Amino acid sequence: MTSKVIKKDALNKTITGWMRSYDVIAPVSSKEGIHFRKISDAKEFTLQGNQKPNYPPKSIFLPQSEVLFEIKDGSYSMPEAPKRRQIILGMRSCDARAAWLLDTVFNQAEELDLYWARKREKALVVSFGCASMCSSGFCDTVGSGPFGKEGSDVMVTELDEAYYLEPLTEAGEKLTEKLDNAESGHSKAAKEIQKSSVVKEHTQADLSKINEKLYEAFDTPIWKEISESCLGCGVCTYLCPTCFCFDIVDEVDRSERVRNWDTCMFRIYSQEASGHNPRPSKAERTRQRIMHKFAYWVDNEKASGCTGCGRCVALCPVNLDIREMVQVITGLPIQ
Amino acid sequence: MDDFGQVRKEAARILSEKKVDVVLGFKSGTIPLKAQPAFITSAKDANTLILDGFCQNNLAVFLHDLPKDKRIGFICRGCESRAVRALAIEHQVKRENLYLIGVPCSGILDWKKIQDEVEGPITSAVDNGKEIILEIHGEKQTLKRNAFLVDSCRTCTGIEPVGTDVIIGEVHLLDLDDDELPPTWAEEFEKHSPEERYQLFTEETDRCIRCYACREACPMCYCAECFVDHIMPRWSESMVTRGGTQAWHLIRAFHQTGRCVECGACERACPMDIKMTYMTDKLNADMKKKYGFEVGADDEKQPPFATITLDDKNRFVS
Amino acid sequence: MRRNPRIILFQCQFCLASSADQDWVEQHLPGHIKLVKVPCSGRISPLFIMNAFQKGADGVMVSGCLPEKCHYITSNMGARRQLDEFRDFLIFLGLEPERFKFVWMNISERGVIQKEISVFSAELKAMKPNTKFNTLKGEIIEQYHG
Repeated sequence: MTSKVIKKDALNKTITGWMRSYDVIAPVSSKEGIHFRKISDAKEFTLQGNQKPNYPPKSIFLPQSEVLFEIKDGSYSMPEAPKRRQIILGMRSCDARAAWLLDTVFNQAEELDLYWARKREKALVVSFGCASMCSSGFCDTVGSGPFGKEGSDVMVTELDEAYYLEPLTEAGEKLTEKLDNAESGHSKAAKEIQKSSVVKEHTQADLSKINEKLYEAFDTPIWKEISESCLGCGVCTYLCPTCFCFDIVDEVDRSERVRNWDTCMFRIYSQEASGHNPRPSKAERTRQRIMHKFAYWVDNEKASGCTGCGRCVALCPVNLDIREMVQVITGLPIQ
Repeated sequence: MDDFGQVRKEAARILSEKKVDVVLGFKSGTIPLKAQPAFITSAKDANTLILDGFCQNNLAVFLHDLPKDKRIGFICRGCESRAVRALAIEHQVKRENLYLIGVPCSGILDWKKIQDEVEGPITSAVDNGKEIILEIHGEKQTLKRNAFLVDSCRTCTGIEPVGTDVIIGEVHLLDLDDDELPPTWAEEFEKHSPEERYQLFTEETDRCIRCYACREACPMCYCAECFVDHIMPRWSESMVTRGGTQAWHLIRAFHQTGRCVECGACERACPMDIKMTYMTDKLNADMKKKYGFEVGADDEKQPPFATITLDDKNRFVS
Repeated sequence: MRRNPRIILFQCQFCLASSADQDWVEQHLPGHIKLVKVPCSGRISPLFIMNAFQKGADGVMVSGCLPEKCHYITSNMGARRQLDEFRDFLIFLGLEPERFKFVWMNISERGVIQKEISVFSAELKAMKPNTKFNTLKGEIIEQYHG
């Protein structure tokens, strides 16, 4: 596929051009940093350095609260599918990879989740790689990197005077076909930036060994020790780009059936109607979270369920660090 | 912070003399600007204890999880000691099983504000009680501490630990040159018109993602079943709608009336930077004005909503 | 406003000793006022009031007995502190003070409730419909707008 370039001062014009046929969802400034919004003007697009929104863009395809159907006069009606195609501009590779991983859950032909699939098929992902990794990120140790290709249709590398675009899919190629071709100087500069973006000290985590060790530790008391300071809130799971658990509620007052994000870190998550709870304490719940990310995902998809975005590390109120926890349990490093 | 060596010694002593089973404090975090809660069970680990402006939790919240018969040594700052008092009054902790080591506090720092202030990745951060010394790309950068204190610490009136078994170190009030600091969000809120106040309240709550970090970080929120988890009746939708989230914030604040210790742990835990202490500050101020009640002021007085007196009959005129 | 204000009246079942008054409240209350009868004003939780405003009430009136006249001795005082503070809290968050009213009455008084309701109703009618905390069937606040 042919790589393209956009001169820095021509970016807004290109985005405006895209806005004629697509809805462009991009990060805009907000009180808590940046978050994704549909923009009405290319100038709203904000993305500096290696910043990314705290609130994960999985919400674009799996909204935190989504109406599944509404009941009116005794009949159901589903919400309409998005009409226009969308460009998700300014994703990071950790979040794009997460969408790619979640496709294995929601977007498989035999078990299609219509709500996810409808949005996914209409959306193109244009990711911006990170020239230098974020401080709590570790995407390069869990099988990806700041310029990881999975989940994106186009990967953008910021050069001094231009943006270098690499189409990764047919849809990405079609989107960029009218742009100027990249010259060899551009390609060389981009490859340099991509190579030097990873942290030298980081090493690839041995996912299959970690998986093995986690299973070995399953019945030991280590989980109680490492989860002692966990508050049991939902910050790590709600901000995680790959967490996808949900709860379906019939909101009678609103005559709607709604799907909301749920979190395995809440006690009531696994509480059964009888009062029995198979995960009665934080130890079991923490074990579930870590096993899901580093054991069960690896079992099912041979890939880490954690994309190394680092949000949980940066924003956990008690600074519980999933890398430290895995290291303490397995003796194997993630870093 | 040199006194802190004394605190470590004391912690080691009470553990080795088997006066307590565990000491609750802080240890270094895994990334700069952070600290982790520490549960020290052996005297030799006591030297991992630290205390600085990056210790942003109210440790009293862990008293609920530890078994009630465990003897706990607790290194507490002003707000944490108030929380212990308030919990003891509500019969949630057994004071005789706690050994409280009161320590001075220089106020907690807003790590997000520090990160936003500087350019480039912070590879190390040290808070020595007077300045914040950062290392960025191998170069040192020093920041003045006061400008980065969290709002609740700027308006703290209870820096001296109360009801502790011992106080190690000299407690002094924060030296805040009020002129150079902008007013806190809570101070600003009061000055607006009712329409604007409702607007501000709505703007803050619209950002909420119902992660309940505020509730879990709060030492006074310990209900086995929170009102948001009630299904019959449904007080608050679990969806992220304006109604559900407004109900969540306003009722949680209201349930803290006369109980909130004004530590600000809720705001610090919030991943979306939502302001909440302005509500509990106002409710607590009302409790002081109307009933002369201050949280943590003594060991026995019940919070105003838990008690009534016949004086009340002259209080409420339509 | 042109339409009648939506009012919720939380009424303690004992505060209207006169059966004429009680009948009026149960059967002749104007249509725009809904009655919620409780065994004692002590039963009223601030959550009820919040729920009333969220479901579209323009005004809420709480009617109960004077402190020393409570049928359950001290029950109404238990809630009194909470409801009083809750009103101040809602006003702090922007609610108009005229929308939340208490009527504490002596059981020997007659005809009070009718007067209070008609005054309250007229006051609210002169104000615009309430938009604060009125969030029934509110939109989902999506952290990203699609």
